[in-house]
Amino acid sequence: MITLPTASTLSAENISVWFGQRQVLENVNLTFPANQVTALIGPSGCGKSTFLRTLNRMHELIPSAGLAGSVFLDGQDIYGPEADAVDVRINIGMVFQKPNPFPTMSIKENILSGLKLSGRKIDNADELVETSLRRASIWNEVKDRLGDQALSLSGGQQQRLCIARSLAMNPKVLLMDEPCSALDPGSTRRIEETISELSESMTIVIVTHNMQQAQRVSDQTAFFLAEEGTPGGVVEFGRTEDVFNTPVDLRTNDYVNGHFG
Amino acid sequence: MIERPVIQPWSAKIVAIRTQIIISALVPAALLGLVVLLTSIDFSLALIAIFLPAQLLCAGFVGFKNFNKRGVKDAALLVLVYFFSAMVFVLLMSVLFSVIAKGFGAISPHFLYENNKYVSSTTTLEYGGVGHAILGTLLIVALTTIVAVPLGIAMAVYLTQSQAKHLGLVRTVTQALSGLPSVVSGLFILSLMPVLGLERSGLTGALALFPLMLPTVARVAEESLKLVPADLRLAALALGAPNYRAFFQVILPAAKSGIITALLLGLARVVGETAPLILTTNANNGTNLNPFAGGIASLPTFVYSFLGSGYATSQQRAWGGALVLLLLVGVLFASARIFGRTKSLKTKSKGKKK
Repeated sequence: MITLPTASTLSAENISVWFGQRQVLENVNLTFPANQVTALIGPSGCGKSTFLRTLNRMHELIPSAGLAGSVFLDGQDIYGPEADAVDVRINIGMVFQKPNPFPTMSIKENILSGLKLSGRKIDNADELVETSLRRASIWNEVKDRLGDQALSLSGGQQQRLCIARSLAMNPKVLLMDEPCSALDPGSTRRIEETISELSESMTIVIVTHNMQQAQRVSDQTAFFLAEEGTPGGVVEFGRTEDVFNTPVDLRTNDYVNGHFG
Repeated sequence: MIERPVIQPWSAKIVAIRTQIIISALVPAALLGLVVLLTSIDFSLALIAIFLPAQLLCAGFVGFKNFNKRGVKDAALLVLVYFFSAMVFVLLMSVLFSVIAKGFGAISPHFLYENNKYVSSTTTLEYGGVGHAILGTLLIVALTTIVAVPLGIAMAVYLTQSQAKHLGLVRTVTQALSGLPSVVSGLFILSLMPVLGLERSGLTGALALFPLMLPTVARVAEESLKLVPADLRLAALALGAPNYRAFFQVILPAAKSGIITALLLGLARVVGETAPLILTTNANNGTNLNPFAGGIASLPTFVYSFLGSGYATSQQRAWGGALVLLLLVGVLFASARIFGRTKSLKTKSKGKKK
């Protein structure tokens, strides 16, 4: 049996983000405790996906990107002088909005791609493939066709394959950027079940536009908002039940009840 | 189970007016035949001046009768597209046909492997061949390819993957370079030879082909790398891949077929080039396997030199050489296509068996 790493606590301190001269986020302070699922909600363009990308140093790949603040993974600043972006991304996995399996690789090769791409040795490949696919609850659907092209799977299966691909790296934290926005209700439900199971072994941050989904899967919720002409920020952050049922801020109340956004 | 209808609902109308369509296609053709037979008008002129307008008129009439105004426009587009596609097709076929018809007589097994050592302008076709020229062309082109293709791909990578400041300038220069007349490239190397202390050889020929191949490879490879979704690179980087691994294991395989097209178009650009080789290589009737010294034959220069002499056998030899050149390009294209396809076919069939 492959041993799973223990989950880690991730915390963002005073994160501000710029694209060129335009500031899109100001002073975001959020803590993601180990084994908890945190949902980031808010209207389009409020900076929640951008914020998510600052958490595993994907943000810096955009040429005009700017950043201030720190992100700590178990007390280590991932933007610190000794930190290496490649190591950070190995520990903090990411699932994208659109399923993006590698088209030139088979299902099995996709699962092992993370290890190959980060230059690590692969022992007991078959076991790792099975474990990862099981954790993403897709093993039963693909176990007889591991050699098939990844693109032969349906959209929902591709997304779960991408989750399994991230899991094969045994990340301590998993970031998900609207992972269900391109999927049907059935696939969405399966991914939500997967998220609940995964939270036992890792910390999860999920961006979603779906309020019901946020309530179903998350332990805590952060509501992002960018009011006209100002950079985005966190309006309210707390336990999911509280944010949805007894919000403190009037704007949160309006948003979670569908009055705007 | 319902039986599938013979005529699909959407094609019922076309089937109903089929007779009209056939008549509208036969009338202009008959008219063309009559005019060409009865008057002494030139065939190509009749094709453009009589057949095309008549066909447009007939098709337009049928279109108007059945589909009103839009039928006329649809019919006109259809006729023009078919007419000019057919013209291009006929043009291509006639080029192929004339080379095959005139060159086939010269081709025989010994024509492919013998060299030209004891052959004069009047020697019969039983003796001599283009073996030396095939080898020469392969050597020169290979020498160009092993330098131009990696460099061209590297340029494409620079243009697509980096965020350097002067990309626009590099891209413009590359595009301008791809229009470089081959004779200029030959002259350039010719003028450089005394400076570099090089004698005419296969190497100087390869150098003269290099500026022609590089921009072609770079531009086509750039286009194919551009088509790889940015998502894939991000996915690789998010898994903790360093840039170079993301490129070699994800981006390059995804662009593979495009890169092979780049190689093919690069080869096609230089394999038939004559002027640069006339300027920078010495002819050789014998076989020379050393591209770094001595005269070396190549197929285009072989064709050029034999076509220039007035004797019938020499001209036939030239056409034979042209046909061999054509076949060589065909073989190169086919093998590169097969080579580029093997992997994806294998994985597909593996999946099916399981």
